[in-house]
Amino acid sequence: MSGAARAETAEHEEGVENAAPAAPRGRTLSLVLAGLVVLIAVAVVAAAALRPSVPGPDSPEAGFARDMSTHHAQAVQMSFMIRDASDDEKIRTLAYDIITTQSAQIGMMTAWLDAWKAPKVDPKGPMRWMSGHGGHGGGSGAAMPGMATDQQLKELESAEGKDAEVLFLKLMIAHHRGGVEMAEAVLARTDREEVERLARTMVEGQSAEIELMTSMLRERGAA
Amino acid sequence: MSKSARNRQKRNNPLVQSGPPWGAIAFFTVIGVIVTAAVAFAAWQAFKPVEPIAGLIERDGLERGHVTTKIEYDTNPPMGGKHNAVWQNCDGRVYDQPLQNEHAVHSLEHGAVWITYRPGLDSKALGKLKDRVSNTDYTMLSPVPDQDSPIVLTAWGKQLKTDDADDDRIDAFLRAYVKGPQTPEPGAACIGGKDTP
Repeated sequence: MSGAARAETAEHEEGVENAAPAAPRGRTLSLVLAGLVVLIAVAVVAAAALRPSVPGPDSPEAGFARDMSTHHAQAVQMSFMIRDASDDEKIRTLAYDIITTQSAQIGMMTAWLDAWKAPKVDPKGPMRWMSGHGGHGGGSGAAMPGMATDQQLKELESAEGKDAEVLFLKLMIAHHRGGVEMAEAVLARTDREEVERLARTMVEGQSAEIELMTSMLRERGAA
Repeated sequence: MSKSARNRQKRNNPLVQSGPPWGAIAFFTVIGVIVTAAVAFAAWQAFKPVEPIAGLIERDGLERGHVTTKIEYDTNPPMGGKHNAVWQNCDGRVYDQPLQNEHAVHSLEHGAVWITYRPGLDSKALGKLKDRVSNTDYTMLSPVPDQDSPIVLTAWGKQLKTDDADDDRIDAFLRAYVKGPQTPEPGAACIGGKDTP
C-alpha cells in the first residue's frame, strides 16, 4: 500500500466519524415519513376490511328479500281469510302461526333492505334474481312460484267451512312449496349469514307445515 | 487528500449526507398524496349524498288522524293528511276508476306509491304505467280526472309530475319511496283493505 493510499483510508475513516453527527437528521426524517406512510396504509387496509360490505341493490339477497316479502304477504292474507271462514281450531291455529311468523319475517327482510340501503322494489320486475324462473312476469305475482291467482283468492274469500278449509290447504301447500323453492334458490346463491339462517328456517319450517297440511287434507278426504 | 476529494466522498456515501434527504421527502410526499386521495375517494363513495330527483315536490307536517268524512286536500292528488281508517289495496294494483282520496291517502301512509294519470293519456303510455304498477308491489294506479299533469307519482309527502311514461325519474321515484324512509307506518300492509275504487 502506498503512503497516499494509506492516507486516503485514514481520511475516509476520519470522514465517517466527522460526518456521523449529521446523518441522523436526514435518516430520522425519512424514518418518520416512512412510519407515517405505513401507519396510513395500515389504517386504510383496516378500514376497508372492517367496513361491512353489503349486498348490492340487484343482488340475489336483495331480490330474495323483496320477492319473499311479497310472497309472505299473500300467505298472511290467505291465513286471515281462513281464520274468518273456519271454526276448526287446528286450522285456525295453523293460520295464526303463519300470520305471526311470516309478518315478522317480512319485517326482518325489510330491515335487511334498509341496512343495505337497497330499494324495496325493483321496477324492472320481480324474480330477476332467480334466473330460469320466469324472469319478467306478467301480472302481479304471476312469476312467483306458488302464488295464488286473484281468482283463487276470490274463491277462498267466498268459501265457507270445510270447502274453505280444503281450498286453503291446497293453496297454502302450493304456496309453501313455492316458498321453499325460493328459499333454496337464495341458499344456492348467497353466503350471507343472516340470509342463510332465515332461508334455512323457511325451508325447514314450511316443509314441516306442508306435511302437517297434507295430513289435514287427508283427514278431510281431499288429499 | 484535497478538499474536493473529501466532498466527493461525502456525496457518494448516503450515510454521510448532511443536507435534507430530498429524494426521500419527494418519494413519501407522492405516496402520501396518493393515500390521501384514496382515502378521500373511499369516504366520498361511502357517504356521497343520494342524487335528488329533479322536480320533486315535498311536504311535511302532514296530519295522520282517521276520519269518516270527506276531506278537502290542498293538493290534487293529495300527498298525505287525515284519512279513512280503511286503506286502499296497493299490491301492484291497477284501478280503472278514480279512487276515494281518503282511502288512497291511507295507502300512502303504509309506504305505497300511487301513480295517477289524467284520463285521455294515450293508450301506449297508459300501458307502460300499468306494466310498471302490476310488476311492482306497494304501488297502485288510478285515473284522476282534474289533475294538472298527465302523470303524477305520489308518496307520503312526496310528489313528482311528468308527461312522459318513459321518464327515468319514474323508476327513481319508485326505488326511493316505495316503503321508503318517508313512510309514516313502516311494515303496514297493502292488502286487506278496500279492494274496489
